[in-house]
Amino acid sequence: MADTMMAIAILLPVVAGFLILAVRNYYARGAVVILTALILIANSVYFTLKGPFTYTPGGFNWGLLITILDYGILIFYLYIGFSLRNWLVLIFALTQIIPLAYFEFVMKAHIEVTPAFVIDNLSIVMTLVISIIGSLICIYAIRYMYDHEHHLHLEKSKQSRFLFWLVLFLGAMNGLVFANNLVWLYFFWEVTTLCCYQLISHDRTELAIKNAARALWMNATGGTAFILAIIYLYTTQGGANALSVQTIIGGGLQGSLVLLPVALLCYTGCTKAAQMPFQSWLLGAMVAPTPVSALLHSSTMVKAGVYLVVRLAPAFSGTYLSVVIALVGAFTFFGTSALAISQTTGKRVLAYSTIANLGLIIACAGINTPLSIAAAIMLIIFHAISKGLLFLCAGTIEHQIWSREIEDMEGLAVKAPLTTLITAVGILSMFLPPFGMLLGKWIALEAAYIVPLAAVFFVLASTLTIVFWTKWLGRLLQVLPKLGWPIEKLSPSYSVPLWTLLIGIFIVGIGIGPIYQNFLLAATNNVISGNQIISLGLNNLVLTTPSFLQREILGVFPVWPLYLILIVALLLPFLLIGLKPTELRPVYMCGEQAGGGAPDTDEWFAEADTVTKCQLGGYYYQSVLGEKRVCPWANAIAILLLVIMIGGVIVI
Amino acid sequence: MMINQLLLVFVVLVGAPIVGGLLFGIDRKITARMQGRYGPPIIQPFYDFFKLLGKEHIAVSKLQFVWIYGYLVFMIASLIFLVLKSDFLLLVFLLGFAAVSLVLGGFSTKSPYAHFGANRELMQIMAYEPILLLLAIAIYAQNGSFLISEIFKHDKPLLFTLWPLFLAVLYVLTIKMRKSPFDIATSHHGHQEIVKGVTTEYSGPYFALFHLAEWYEIILLLGIIALFWTNPLWVGILIALAAFIMELFIDNIAARLTVSWMVRLSWSVGLILGIANIAYIYLTKGVS
Repeated sequence: MADTMMAIAILLPVVAGFLILAVRNYYARGAVVILTALILIANSVYFTLKGPFTYTPGGFNWGLLITILDYGILIFYLYIGFSLRNWLVLIFALTQIIPLAYFEFVMKAHIEVTPAFVIDNLSIVMTLVISIIGSLICIYAIRYMYDHEHHLHLEKSKQSRFLFWLVLFLGAMNGLVFANNLVWLYFFWEVTTLCCYQLISHDRTELAIKNAARALWMNATGGTAFILAIIYLYTTQGGANALSVQTIIGGGLQGSLVLLPVALLCYTGCTKAAQMPFQSWLLGAMVAPTPVSALLHSSTMVKAGVYLVVRLAPAFSGTYLSVVIALVGAFTFFGTSALAISQTTGKRVLAYSTIANLGLIIACAGINTPLSIAAAIMLIIFHAISKGLLFLCAGTIEHQIWSREIEDMEGLAVKAPLTTLITAVGILSMFLPPFGMLLGKWIALEAAYIVPLAAVFFVLASTLTIVFWTKWLGRLLQVLPKLGWPIEKLSPSYSVPLWTLLIGIFIVGIGIGPIYQNFLLAATNNVISGNQIISLGLNNLVLTTPSFLQREILGVFPVWPLYLILIVALLLPFLLIGLKPTELRPVYMCGEQAGGGAPDTDEWFAEADTVTKCQLGGYYYQSVLGEKRVCPWANAIAILLLVIMIGGVIVI
Repeated sequence: MMINQLLLVFVVLVGAPIVGGLLFGIDRKITARMQGRYGPPIIQPFYDFFKLLGKEHIAVSKLQFVWIYGYLVFMIASLIFLVLKSDFLLLVFLLGFAAVSLVLGGFSTKSPYAHFGANRELMQIMAYEPILLLLAIAIYAQNGSFLISEIFKHDKPLLFTLWPLFLAVLYVLTIKMRKSPFDIATSHHGHQEIVKGVTTEYSGPYFALFHLAEWYEIILLLGIIALFWTNPLWVGILIALAAFIMELFIDNIAARLTVSWMVRLSWSVGLILGIANIAYIYLTKGVS
């Protein structure tokens, strides 16, 4: 059974991908994608039911295949570097391929690691996120890419190619979260980088290719650090035994400088999670069609980065490295939240918010208590759902107004009430109680005092978070006094993923107590043992500090009562207020309103009684928080933190 | 236990707006006297409230009610959290939802004045939110718990160790009470705001809801200040009332500052007070 499950999780997306490439009919291709999605979802649920196990594939020299494919990918990078004349891509392809060749041919390394795959509860949480949310995004992409190409008036359809990389991505991610053999983990890591490059450059515009190349070289620096960590572990820790994730986190490393490979791997995680100063690749990725962004931001790619850091948390627990990682993450949380305020494009706000929340997750791994690790895992799940939803909303909005600018979304509540409603819930779920993201942030803040500077960054960042979300939501809601908003029609390929994710926010949010107790607690224990969150009646989450005599209560989060309050707040206006057309009035404009008393006018008499349309706009504070102003400083501090992270490990 | 708590919640739900309304009446009276006027009777806010309730229903947007109810309901929720001595950090986040609701209510009209007010209200949130969150962390640093009930278990008042944050919270009180120099988003006494700021487009019964929420809010804010001296609690309440009266004086002697001044002041002086306070506790007490 394990054979089938692993094959479905990792190889089925590959097979399905090639099938999608072969099928040229829109409906048949869609059917293949939907079928693959359903099988992946069912399989991930089966993983949950079956529970943890270890697995080593036999019957075929998989190691050799992976080695060949490794070189294939790296040679392809070299080719990209040459053909684009992009020296950074070239250099960082070489810094991977040369050490890898040295490792395998000169050192003649044996890289047999048993078990090759360890599927524990944390991996299962990840595979659920990848399979369910990733699959929904693939379904969404079927129709989206059709509309996208229709809008661009392309002669030759590239939808198959797009869906191929999209589906392949899911397989690579599943492999990545299951792999125990570091060399195999590295391989899956590179496949995700490759998929990411192909998807960002999909539209083949100059900007798309440039940004894809940037994503490639930045992630390739991470890949380089990964290989160096592998070689270092192999040479100093006596062979292939040390190339097992379980050995590294199980305290199996001995001797001096054991933290160096861990620090290198955390650096790799930070590049993939687009932590400052690497945030520019994820922002550049915004040029790609929206399903790519949705996939990169919610369930794949960046989540691989935070997964690696959270996974390695036991290896740096209680060390200097742990504190620095908390600060690296917390600083990114703060810096990118500030930058998000100055963004005028919806997708860029989403991107900065993703990076900020990934920073929060990495900081939680650095804080490294049972409480903070639980917060990190909850944040991974809640962020995947909410951010996946928001990107799909952004894509749906884009296909309704053909713009990504926040100012163009002004008054969307009238043009597309349904999309606006879903987007509004998505936005609120990112930063307000009782939703899951806030729950995660709340736990993180209550755990953060161990690294007080990180706690201060959390405080500042969560304040800035309120500002940019509220600003954006406010633009959507600006409406004229008018009744009767026709509800727009959405293709099922759009609406099914949207509704599923929206309902998901509430199901996981409301049920977080039992979900944590029965499932996430075990995942937390895979990283750090201890039970600091207790779920009591009415789904109260009680945070405790373990002590010898009694448990002291840190804080209480009454989940159900809070959702009840939310429902009351939403129901009251609907129950108490039935708005009649006669009750509508124009807004106050100092009596200079034009339009002859009709309420739904936004015209007024300007100078010399010329009728002028009233125009309102959002504030973006670019003179204070613009990228040009903030980035040089913020990047310098972030680079300094990374230098302290790796340099400090060597010095201390 | 459970019955007692329900009773307490009920008493506060009914009592808070009465006391809050009276406080606003006293505010108007004292302010009037300071300006050499006679001033309205102390129960004038209630007259106003019931008069507003009886007015015609007028709306400029289908969405603004959702948010005015959000403002009221989440304000009451935060107050209940305070009364039940629950988690202080969560209380601050709930208060955040209330504040965000008010901003979104302003944004959900196409009114230039409401937008001015909403943008300013948002900057006000940015100015005071970090101080309240730092207060939560400082309370944890001092007591080892975020629960308000833990504050009551300690004999030594928080004021002794958290006095820098107390000063910062007074700053927050000025902003939240919409008093000069920070009556920026909207203000009570018709100083010099642009029309009526964030509440410009609320009228009649909906405007009454806004007042009701403000009455709950003032009780909540003074309650937070009273937490600085909980044993015995009457000292804390006296401190809170003194702070309230002090705000009225500040209101009448200060001119309004600009938004950027407000944010700059709180992100420099306010945050330094808060961070230094936490750093001091961390260095002297360590992680308990």
